[in-house]
Amino acid sequence: MREKDKLVGTPVSRIDGILKVTGKADYSVDHPIKNAAYAILFKSTIAAGTITNIDSAEAEKSPGVLAVITHKNAPKLNVKGGIRGGAMLQSPAIEFYGQNIGIVVADTFEQARHAAHLIKVDYDKKTPKADFDKLASEAKPPKDNHDEKWGDAKAALGTASYTVEETYSTPIEHHHPMEPHAAIAEWTGNQVTLYSSAQIVNGAQNAAAATLNLSPENVRIVSPYIGGGFGSKGGQWANLVLTAVAAKVANRPVKLALTRNQMVNSVGLRQQNFQKVSLAATKEGKLTALAHEITTHCAIDTEFVEPCGDCSKIMYDTPNALITYKVVPMNVILPTYTRGPGKSTGSFALESAVDELAYKLKMDPIVFRIKNEPAKDPSNGKPWSSRKAVECLQAGAKAFGWDKRKMEPRQNQDGDYLIGYGVAAGTYPAHQRPSSAIVKLNREGSTVTAIVELAAADLGTGTYTILAQTAADALDLPIKNVTVHIGDSDLPPAAGSVGSVGATSYANVVNDACIKLTDELIAKSGKQYYARPTASQLMVSEKIPTHQTRVDSKPLASAEEYSAHSFNANFAEVRVNKLTGMVRVSRFLAVTGAGKILNPKTARSQIIGGNVWGIGMALTEESVLDPRWGNFVTRSLADYHVPSNLDIGDLDAIFIREEDTLANKMGIKGIGEVGIVGVAAAVANAVFNATGKRVRELPITPDKLL
Amino acid sequence: MRPFKYTSATDISSAVKGLAGKPNAKFLAGGTNLLDLMKEDVERPDELIDINRLPLTNIKTITIGTNQGGLSIGGLGKNTDAANHPLVRQQYPLLTQAILAGASGQIRNMATNGGNLLQRTRCPYFYEVSMPCNKREPGTGCSALQGVNRLHAIFGWSEKCVAVYPSDMSIALAALDAVVTVRNASGQERAIPFADFHRLPGDTPEKETSLNPGELITAIELPKNNFANHSYYLKVRDRASYAFALISVAAALELNGNKISKARIAMGGVAHKPWRVLKAEQLLVGKEATEANFRLAATAGMADARPLEHNKFKVELGNRSIVLALQQALNGSKS
Ligand SMILES: Cc1cc2nc3c(=O)[nH]c(=O)nc-3n(C[C@H](O)[C@H](O)[C@H](O)COP(=O)(O)OP(=O)(O)OC[C@H]3O[C@@H](n4cnc5c(N)ncnc54)[C@H](O)[C@@H]3O)c2cc1C
Ligand code: SF4
Repeated sequence: MREKDKLVGTPVSRIDGILKVTGKADYSVDHPIKNAAYAILFKSTIAAGTITNIDSAEAEKSPGVLAVITHKNAPKLNVKGGIRGGAMLQSPAIEFYGQNIGIVVADTFEQARHAAHLIKVDYDKKTPKADFDKLASEAKPPKDNHDEKWGDAKAALGTASYTVEETYSTPIEHHHPMEPHAAIAEWTGNQVTLYSSAQIVNGAQNAAAATLNLSPENVRIVSPYIGGGFGSKGGQWANLVLTAVAAKVANRPVKLALTRNQMVNSVGLRQQNFQKVSLAATKEGKLTALAHEITTHCAIDTEFVEPCGDCSKIMYDTPNALITYKVVPMNVILPTYTRGPGKSTGSFALESAVDELAYKLKMDPIVFRIKNEPAKDPSNGKPWSSRKAVECLQAGAKAFGWDKRKMEPRQNQDGDYLIGYGVAAGTYPAHQRPSSAIVKLNREGSTVTAIVELAAADLGTGTYTILAQTAADALDLPIKNVTVHIGDSDLPPAAGSVGSVGATSYANVVNDACIKLTDELIAKSGKQYYARPTASQLMVSEKIPTHQTRVDSKPLASAEEYSAHSFNANFAEVRVNKLTGMVRVSRFLAVTGAGKILNPKTARSQIIGGNVWGIGMALTEESVLDPRWGNFVTRSLADYHVPSNLDIGDLDAIFIREEDTLANKMGIKGIGEVGIVGVAAAVANAVFNATGKRVRELPITPDKLL
Repeated sequence: MRPFKYTSATDISSAVKGLAGKPNAKFLAGGTNLLDLMKEDVERPDELIDINRLPLTNIKTITIGTNQGGLSIGGLGKNTDAANHPLVRQQYPLLTQAILAGASGQIRNMATNGGNLLQRTRCPYFYEVSMPCNKREPGTGCSALQGVNRLHAIFGWSEKCVAVYPSDMSIALAALDAVVTVRNASGQERAIPFADFHRLPGDTPEKETSLNPGELITAIELPKNNFANHSYYLKVRDRASYAFALISVAAALELNGNKISKARIAMGGVAHKPWRVLKAEQLLVGKEATEANFRLAATAGMADARPLEHNKFKVELGNRSIVLALQQALNGSKS
């Protein structure tokens, strides 16, 4: 195939797009299952203590009710089986507000919901630990410690001529995907099929199996479409196994979907962080020390710490660095991976501090960053597989019109509006994970079609499409002749769509399988070729009716020798109303160097989607706890403010050309996470440039700018 | 949601008679507030009478009575239709702006004018049945008083309840001195001046309006005025659309040259009812329309504010918002 005919690298529209916009894509509970009953979870109304009594007599008599399941009658589950967040009805102990304490199963959803209201619960209540402001001082180093140190940062800070030492605060955030966590469970004998929504299909299978005391072969996960996850569907939560429990007890297929309100205490969250960042520099702008001290919270019995210090480890060249973590358990649901885990929040602190330091030095923040560009990974001395951080900054500055930015704040006004420009850099690691795939070819006459199979996930990001492109190129077929089957644990095991490993792992294994398949067809033909024929040509010339192969791919062994990351530069223009403090991001540009871009259209959507969330993180998103009870007061999308269309101005995404076959064979780095990294800092830096006010506590709501 | 009986009324008389003597029955209009509250188990009616088919959707010029020359807006008209009606746009642009500042296009297409007036507070404790709340369950206490109260009242609250009333439309209606006409089961009509329609919480936060049980809102009447060229609805919120107000200000001026002959200022997001800032209005009448006078008026208007722990910013924000809204109202005809 001629290079110009290749589909990889071209903006192919999503092949599942029509299905989705016409409502024909079946998400978890949409699957048409005959005779399904409906289940609803009911939840604790205290955050700490013990259930002393559950009176479900009235509920059990309520019309249509098939079962009420609580810790008193729930089957024994293996709580260490890999389901996150506990709350599986195994004990009367309450560790957070809104913990699952029971399930009602009924013929209809309405009957189940009504019956749930009839249940009376008594508690022995304890005072919850839910006030992070007060508890932060009790935080201790986590057991799984990721502290990092080189040189002597504290000493260097003490003697430096220019320093910044500030604490940055980011609130609890929720993922709130459009599709809430939901599942249908259908048993046949001791085998269960779970129609659900899983970013890691095999992970969900293994966790559900271990928790339900089954072997993995007896659990099938079907998850062809995912209505967003952002990390919350990476690990699986109690709702998945409780659906199976409900179906077992009711002896019927059961559908169980969380309500939007239940999402705030069922499927993890991004924890609140206090991050102290200390930077020191010479008057020429050379960084001499970087300290990043993180304090956060986790669940009462399970540790989870967002790696907020990750960006600080690799962004800048510094002879002295210190990264420390502390965590305090709270009566709040277990935090979990949330888009750009650690990097989005960590970069807010680091990149704000860099902006503050550059301002003190009266130096352009882009110049400052380029001055401190590290030649190799400062944390481990490994060479970069490739790094386009400087190119991102330079290309962005040019495209954005950065030269129009004034160094001093409040110099750019338009009537009642103050206008400001901000920049911030970001990064996310690039990894390939082991995955397997089967590629099958069929021929009818001279028409060859292919089926690609692997237990991959498509979060709505474009996995189906990029795999069809990859296979079509590698097999020399039109894209319409390629069918992609993913999202089913009966298919060959594959990596998850998490941590930006999806596209890399999936596209590499599919490509490998297509190459292997072609090799096999060449061997089968028994002929010698001057120019390597394509699989589709061989199927026709050799009149082969059908052929298939399977490949198990691993990351390149040599990849370990390099430090592989995507990098970006984010540019924000904000307009701040001088009187009301309302901020609008009028322009946003993200420039990304992320290796091979398989599909510029889906890639752009990933980046601008991440940008929108980053803008939300900067300006609007916050889950507020009432520390007296440990419950959230922001439980609906009317209270938890994701940005509305009107909040978002012009968005643009530029990709820097990057060939990186050191990272993996296809040179893919992944873009799902990096799109949010650095965004909040760019907006906050722009707000400073507009107003002269440095907001170190997100979100930047109008009251903070009065 | 608990089981309930559903019926639908096609004429006004059967609607009001249907509700008579049934304390637990409710009218169902657009349902955008009532059904949400039922799903949260906050409202627990045992019967809903759907009133969407009542012939109360007209918008027409009033030809008789005290409000002659004004406009009558049907109680069951949709918010979208009220906002976009040519007569409303021409004569009461303040109302158009206020309605369009609220909710989302989809919700405004469902929401009715009567339902909008009766929407209930968004206080998060009111919405969560496991929390104490005097409004939902009198006598249980007010969770917001010492709780998360960034969005709560700074004027007119009581120890019993510090909630704010969320409607944008009503803030404009308060400034426009609207009158609410209602009908009861015996077919009697009465007219309630807007200032008397909503109540402060006092000792009975559960009682939010002066509507008697079973009364149906048939129309909202807007008296004729001369504010159309100089009015403005300012809404300050945490995101650019689809968020309730932190503070909103409906400002309207009648000018004689640059002298203010009449002024109206009502605020949202600050009290249990639309908050008319009478002191500021009085201060402006007879004065030149200048920024300095606007500032004096705003300061006077905010003088009695009693903020709570998390909403102290509303005093300064309210002050600035009054000034800004008055300036925009003044500029109105120029732009
Ligand atoms: C997510 C969200 C965001 C929103 N944002 C805003 C906002 O920013 N600003 C804003 O102003 N509003 C906002 N709203 C509220 C919305 O404006 C109201 O829900 C709507 O106006 C209510 O009208 P309805 O016809 O749907 O009332 P319903 O829900 O049908 O009724 C509300 C109450 O009024 C009673 N009722 C209705 N009609 C009559 C009548 N004619 N006579 C007597 N009683 C009657 C009902 O019995 C019920 O008790 C928002 C709502 C939602 C869900
Ligand atoms: S402010 Fe009013 S509505 Fe809110 S908790 Fe207190 S009593 Fe209830």
